[in-house]
Amino acid sequence: MPIPEENAVPRSRAEIVRGFDRLIADGKVHGAELNPSIIKKSGGGGGASFLAAPLPPRRTLLSRWEEVFRNRIAPDEFLEALSGRIQEYGHGDNFLLFGPDRVIYDTQILHSGMPAGNMTLNFRAERDERLGWKAYLAGRRLRVVHIEQIRLRERSSGYASALFHRYEKLFRDLGFHRFRLKASLSVGKYYWAKEGFDCSDKADIGRMREELRTLVRSLGLPVSDEELDRLNHAYDFAMFRRDLKVPTRRGSEGYYSPAGKEVPGEEISLPLGKAFLLCGQPWDGHKVIYTDTPRRTGFVYSEGHLSHEVRRGHKENGNRLVWLMKGVYREELHQSLVFLEPYVPGLEHIHRVHSPSYVEAFRRAAEGGAGTFATRDCSVSAGSYRAALLAAGGVMAGIDAVMNGRVENAFCAVRPPGHHAGKASATGFCFLNNVAVGAAYARAVHGVERVFILDWDAHHGNGTQEIFEDDPMVFFCSIHEHPSFCFPGTGRRTETGRGEGEGYTLNLPLHPGTGDRELAEMFDAEVVPALERFRPDLILVSAGFDAHRADPIAELELTEASYVHMTGRLCELAEKHCRGRIVSVLEGGYDRASLPCSAAAHLRALQGRS
Amino acid sequence: MFVGKRMKTDVITVAPGDTLHRAGSLLKEHRIHHLPVVEAGELVGIVTDTDIRNARLEEPPGPPGPPVADRKVGEVMTRGVLTLSPRDTIEDAALILHRKRFEAIPVVEGRRLVGIVAKADVIGAFLDTLNIEAIGVRVEVVLPQDTASVLRLVRSLGEMQLAIRSLVLSPRGGEFVAFVRVSTIDVASVRDRLRAEGFKVPDIADFLK
Repeated sequence: MPIPEENAVPRSRAEIVRGFDRLIADGKVHGAELNPSIIKKSGGGGGASFLAAPLPPRRTLLSRWEEVFRNRIAPDEFLEALSGRIQEYGHGDNFLLFGPDRVIYDTQILHSGMPAGNMTLNFRAERDERLGWKAYLAGRRLRVVHIEQIRLRERSSGYASALFHRYEKLFRDLGFHRFRLKASLSVGKYYWAKEGFDCSDKADIGRMREELRTLVRSLGLPVSDEELDRLNHAYDFAMFRRDLKVPTRRGSEGYYSPAGKEVPGEEISLPLGKAFLLCGQPWDGHKVIYTDTPRRTGFVYSEGHLSHEVRRGHKENGNRLVWLMKGVYREELHQSLVFLEPYVPGLEHIHRVHSPSYVEAFRRAAEGGAGTFATRDCSVSAGSYRAALLAAGGVMAGIDAVMNGRVENAFCAVRPPGHHAGKASATGFCFLNNVAVGAAYARAVHGVERVFILDWDAHHGNGTQEIFEDDPMVFFCSIHEHPSFCFPGTGRRTETGRGEGEGYTLNLPLHPGTGDRELAEMFDAEVVPALERFRPDLILVSAGFDAHRADPIAELELTEASYVHMTGRLCELAEKHCRGRIVSVLEGGYDRASLPCSAAAHLRALQGRS
Repeated sequence: MFVGKRMKTDVITVAPGDTLHRAGSLLKEHRIHHLPVVEAGELVGIVTDTDIRNARLEEPPGPPGPPVADRKVGEVMTRGVLTLSPRDTIEDAALILHRKRFEAIPVVEGRRLVGIVAKADVIGAFLDTLNIEAIGVRVEVVLPQDTASVLRLVRSLGEMQLAIRSLVLSPRGGEFVAFVRVSTIDVASVRDRLRAEGFKVPDIADFLK
């Protein structure tokens, strides 16, 4: 049966009514009311959260249907779509139930006609707290599919996987935004994490991390604290240390527990992360029903970046990120981007790039209330030190996600920016060189050999250049306003590297007033061949958006078209040389309108949308 | 700003009795264009690659003499060389190099050769003065040609708490042009603020007209 496409014409009232009539005649529609004796929904069996109730009047059915599904599908079509056969599995004894604020689908799962489990889903349209009341009044809703419970006899997870892949597409087409569930069944606690669900309450990730740390220590396993600190998402736990096997016991009812406990059952050996989840506590999970894009793009952001406060009138302020995020939501990009959390890295990662005394001096200046560090441009507040670490950690988190395959490429919406920070110097709003820390991290921890850093911020990335000047394994290419006219006054064509790094630095200064056409010609003529010759394993971008003509800080006249062009070329080259791996990091960009527009255009290009 | 500080002291030289062939290969090997000619430590002349080239191209009248390569430096060198002393200034060097279109000038103490100063060395001195390679960005301000205006400008810059890298004041058509290098990324705000205080800060576009 045809699955409705996005933005398809809704079904007519007559079709909806006909659909209901058909289902009512078959006894497939009932009312439902919440079971007052259930305070918290339990996913592992136990009482149902609703009780059957008399069928509500037709008027109610129609309005509920419109509210939740916007009439994008008729009720009978929907029931059929939900229960379609997959191999030997099908649904039986299934109903649509209409609760006061939701539509419920309850079904038995059959395997070759025999009972193999059951499932209850409920569908709701809620207020989206991220969008505010104005959006609510305009009719915008967060549409959620709640997987209230699913029980399958053992070894049926292949069916669940196939079913939910089909469901994800169906629900996405119907305009649903996310799944929610409680991962409590033994298999569920691991399975859902592997399928990309994450803890709804981020505190649970912290709790899980500490529990895993305790387990690792008690078993004396060769796992470092640092590896544990990088676990950021339930998916990371599911994939954690598949090389390290631990003994677990599987009970007859399908419950798992650590081998130490006196529990009868079969002993089996499982990878550490999997074993941990299977034996651990239930957790509330959610998963965004992503809008499909040609490439899966990650987006690293945290409110922690707003803790870097600057003096009044200073251009590099927290509003920049607020504007950027508003732009992301306004263009509905949040429905397709995979949101990732940054983390505060250990100082050893920063020391690969910056001298320890410099980092310490920065910390003291920020936390000591000095107000400025090193130069007047570098305004600091008490929260600046942690915010700067979090920015560098944001790039590292982006690199983790790209290298472990969760996303193909990523954008890190971080501040303070980094490309003017040298080994031991802070200028131009920068303190720690986020991209440089990321590059060094990728090489040391992920085994990346050659990194190509492209800096298209309007200003020369003098800090990054200084750090990698004599390194032939990191190619630094910067496109910027000519140093005779613009800060920092360096980045001439004649600066091409030093010592062994000679030839691995490419500076492309642009005269004031340069526009899209010239930039595109120069990019294709100079940057593309350099990248092709270098054959990187990873591409990092210092993505400042201040070369835009609307940005007052520099005198270049680019538009969004340039960012789209450069991103497109980079994606093609990345696909050819390094499996599409690009991590792009926000640097400058100070205009309220052009920053979010340019960033959005860049994000869409990363996703592969035209 | 003294020539003695900027000159090159390990100078490659030849003797008057050396052959042109030797002179030519020295010029090629060290990639230089001038060879001071020295006898017992004293400067007696200078031979350039132009001199050698001219020697090849000209045929002296009369019966053919020895091959050009075997001729002596003493025969083609220029005597009466213009020289500087280490205590002369770079400004002197600049004026001579510019007016006479020389490439380099030997530096002597009495008659003894002590070094050579080239065009590139003079350019280097000015790069250092303007502090071109330091981190910063240039702002140009056009002022009336009086001290009070200069003071007003410096005061404004001070109020903005800018770090000034260099300040060059140059007369032009009855006005001063001040080239200030400041080390802030937000030079747009500096320009705006100077203009708001009544200073004439030309746009880049103005220079392109």
